[in-house]
Amino acid sequence: METSQILLVFFGGLVPMAAVAFALGRRKALLSDAAGSRMHSLPAQYGVYVATWMALPALAIGIVAASAALLGLQVPSAPFVLSFALFGAAVGLMIALRKVEPTLRARNAIEKFVYWTLFAASLVSILTTFGIIISILFEALKFFSQVSVWDFVTGTNWSPVATFRPGQQAADSQFGSVPLFAGTFMITLVAMSVAIPVGLLSAIYMSEYASYRVRTLAKPMLEILAGIPTVVYGFFAAITVSPLVVEVANFFGLHASYTNALAPGLVMGIMIIPFISSLSDDVINSIPNSLREGAYALGATKSETIKQIILPAAFPGIMAAALLGVSRALGETMIVVMAAGLRPNLTWNPLEDMTTVTVRIVDALTGDQAFDSPETLAAFALGLVLFVVTLTLNLISIIVIRKFRQSYE
Amino acid sequence: MRTRDLTGDSTQVVRVPTTERPRVNQKTKMKVRDLEVWYGEKQALHGVSMDVAENEVTALIGPSGCGKSTFLRCLNRMNDLIPDVRIKGEVEFENQNIYAPEVDVVELRSHIGMVFQKPNPFPKSIYDNIAYAPKILGQVRKRTDMEDLVEHSLKRAGLWEEVKDRLQMPGLSLSGGQQQRLCIARAIAVSPSVLLMDEPCSALDPVATATVEQLIDELKENYTIVIVTHNLQQAARVAGYTAFFHLGNIVEYSDTDSLFTHPREKKTEDYITGRYG
Amino acid sequence: MSQGITLSPSRQLKKRYRAEKRFKAYCIGALVLAMAFLVLFFTDMIRQGYSAFVQTEIEVEVTYNEDTVKFTNESVREEVSPLISRAFYRTIPRRVDANPELMGTTETRWLTATAHVDQYRKGYSDRLDPELKATLDRLDSEGRVSYGFNSGLFFSGDSKIPSNAGLWSAFVGSFYVMIVVLLVSFPIGVATAIYLEEFAPDNRFTQGIEININNLAAVPSILFGLLGLAIFINFFGVPRSSALAGGLTLSLMTLPVIIISTRAALKAVPQNIRQGAQAVGASRWQAIRDHVLPLSLPGILTGTIIGIAQAMGETAPLLLIGMIAYIPDAPTSMTEAATVLPAQIFTWSGMPEGAYVSLTAAGILVLLSLLITLNATAVILRNRFERRW
Repeated sequence: METSQILLVFFGGLVPMAAVAFALGRRKALLSDAAGSRMHSLPAQYGVYVATWMALPALAIGIVAASAALLGLQVPSAPFVLSFALFGAAVGLMIALRKVEPTLRARNAIEKFVYWTLFAASLVSILTTFGIIISILFEALKFFSQVSVWDFVTGTNWSPVATFRPGQQAADSQFGSVPLFAGTFMITLVAMSVAIPVGLLSAIYMSEYASYRVRTLAKPMLEILAGIPTVVYGFFAAITVSPLVVEVANFFGLHASYTNALAPGLVMGIMIIPFISSLSDDVINSIPNSLREGAYALGATKSETIKQIILPAAFPGIMAAALLGVSRALGETMIVVMAAGLRPNLTWNPLEDMTTVTVRIVDALTGDQAFDSPETLAAFALGLVLFVVTLTLNLISIIVIRKFRQSYE
Repeated sequence: MRTRDLTGDSTQVVRVPTTERPRVNQKTKMKVRDLEVWYGEKQALHGVSMDVAENEVTALIGPSGCGKSTFLRCLNRMNDLIPDVRIKGEVEFENQNIYAPEVDVVELRSHIGMVFQKPNPFPKSIYDNIAYAPKILGQVRKRTDMEDLVEHSLKRAGLWEEVKDRLQMPGLSLSGGQQQRLCIARAIAVSPSVLLMDEPCSALDPVATATVEQLIDELKENYTIVIVTHNLQQAARVAGYTAFFHLGNIVEYSDTDSLFTHPREKKTEDYITGRYG
Repeated sequence: MSQGITLSPSRQLKKRYRAEKRFKAYCIGALVLAMAFLVLFFTDMIRQGYSAFVQTEIEVEVTYNEDTVKFTNESVREEVSPLISRAFYRTIPRRVDANPELMGTTETRWLTATAHVDQYRKGYSDRLDPELKATLDRLDSEGRVSYGFNSGLFFSGDSKIPSNAGLWSAFVGSFYVMIVVLLVSFPIGVATAIYLEEFAPDNRFTQGIEININNLAAVPSILFGLLGLAIFINFFGVPRSSALAGGLTLSLMTLPVIIISTRAALKAVPQNIRQGAQAVGASRWQAIRDHVLPLSLPGILTGTIIGIAQAMGETAPLLLIGMIAYIPDAPTSMTEAATVLPAQIFTWSGMPEGAYVSLTAAGILVLLSLLITLNATAVILRNRFERRW
């Protein structure tokens, strides 16, 4: 069924029917009220009650049929589904109308329904996490049934041979992931050595030194930095920063590749600055003023107070911010896809080209390869590792931040 | 616990002009003249003058918002930290006006210490809480000297016996009363000559309060103490002199006994008899 | 001990003040550096992209007859013909079909030049045939060459001819995707926030949901792409590259943003509003619906706009679900293959012709102005309507 048809059925069928059901329920309540029996709830609430019981079966039948169709199951034709839904609606309407009586607590029934709807909504976020885990895990397990975990974790040679037909074997493929992780960590290292000092010191300046005016100016500017899409940073890294790095390296007599690891690392660092600074700013601001006053009253200068009292007190929070920053850097995709190399390269030299986990995931899944080829499956294995690592970092920092907040509340 | 006899000998009462120091048998440590303070548009102090006696406890009492805490925080320029604050007048300490441009506020605060309403130990060990300031001020360089100083300060604050076996524990692990005594030990470790206390017992239970009050009484041998308190009995117990603040002015300032037994002003009498405040 | 106290800074204190100054300088330096990055970045994008907003146009005589409808590049004089963008010649048969009276006539028109000519005129490349250069210079001296506003950048779809490539399909695609994101993540996000903030008991399960949401906000976006690929496309069979698949995937990413900001907005409403409403006989839900929600609406909308802006700039997960397809014509439904603004920028950035560099930068400028407008709206909304308690 087309989108427009679905909308037509919904707005042309269900909505008017709900309106009628509402009117019927309300009328019955009004009538019995007029007849002298004291109703528990307001007449309109009985209306909503009846309309809800009419609409729910119809909607449920529609949704089940639609998901079955999407799953490719045999589904009866649309007119049949429609009439079945109509029947469900009629049954719901009749039962609900019957139950409209003075003793029925329509308001409580509606509110119970609201409560469970809200609760169901809150499960979506859990389902999302499960969705990520399931979608990665199955394919990753398929991959590990073909390639040994040990080779994957310790191998230093990543050279998948492309296969384009399902079931085709690629015996010469090598899936040693060490160079990919080395590249990822190198770029993350460069990024964090830009982001942590610049972000933290800016946060200190804004929360401890800056006047109100400077703060109201600088904060939105940092927020702009945070709002720039990663694809834009990627373009900036590839078009402007990489050639710059090459030129500077040449000036010092060094050779740098145009897809060097330094450029995406630096740009990623810039991207993470506002992230670190706003989290640190929050953390520093949550340190109670009494600690500052205590230090000043002893004759400490501002920087002594900051360095020896505020920062140690804020350390857990700042640490958590840095970990979240690392998690971001590890999973960042567009900057490295656009500015880093594709060649797995195990080196300590950030001027050479290197590739990362995310680059290989994108490369494997945007090509024309068969979905069950080992290279495609390898992308899911890499995704699994990325998920586990970032999940660990995120959980540590989330829990640390929670504890930190509680200790200063 | 030492308590002052509130119905003490009335012949001791010396009537003096409100703002001057009541008795002259002790040296003056600080002289405040015509101190005015504004927070933005709101005036918090209206030209307050007062002498603070050396090696005595001076209590500042009065209803909430009367300016007593503002006054206290002017004595070591803690108010400088508040944005939009304007201060006029003079505070003389060691023959210098502390608001004169050549006076360094960091230097000043190392001579005039402060203890706050809520105990605020640093999130460091007990030892480091005390060692921190002498270290940054460069007063103590040798490790053994520092250990001596920590022990001495804790002893002066009456905390040594309770913590001597756990100096490396965080200061925050102590009880409220112990934390406040730690803060006092921390303040006296840099050997200030004046100690300002801003309701130091308001967050403590009665037993801890009694300990701190006794400590204050002992400390006055060596230190000039100015204490803000909400608790009239406490002022009566610990202070030699008491000033009653109301609406940003000193209404009455005299030795504690006379202020509580023979207040000269109607307002003072109303306040100490609990008619308002 | 009070003897000889001076309150002017001692030598030792002067040394400490020098350390103080150094530290403050580092802090200022860091902030200045961050600002400098921002300035550098914007000047660079403007420098690269501003020229793509105008295009070289040439005034030529176009002849319509039997021959030129077949061999369209003969419709203009031979030496001028290679200067004109191929995109125009393609339109001739259609144009004549639509206006048969044109047949056998000649009209004078301003036509878009090829990207080579454009790049040469803008000084980006010198790789233009010398003969063409001469012709161009002659036309220029006759006043028949000028710059015109590049309306195609906004109103045409993607094209393999750089002078004809535009953002229109990407606009439409982004619009569809954002509609899906809004329809899915706003109701679910707000409902989740209301449940967690107003109804949920403080137990392990609730704390688990909270931690899970905070974690989802920090999960690398590319993993959402893997989810979209495996679940929406491979399992549920949502068409690959479609706005629906992209929208559903981005919805899951936007959800935590909306939940977190809605919770903050709900939390900001003081408890006594709820108690006041319940004290006059409203149920818990009625108090929320009639009092708490209206009061927190500005905060909720602000968070939603910020979430939408974030989703609008997201690319990585969309690559995995195939939204980097070549889309010359705007999609007309949610299930057709579509592209979005950042994906279009990514596609252009990978094109070999030099002309696409300016186009990419211009696309970036358009995307950034959209995002800044959205975020500014959110900030204004917050400052205007948010109540402080």
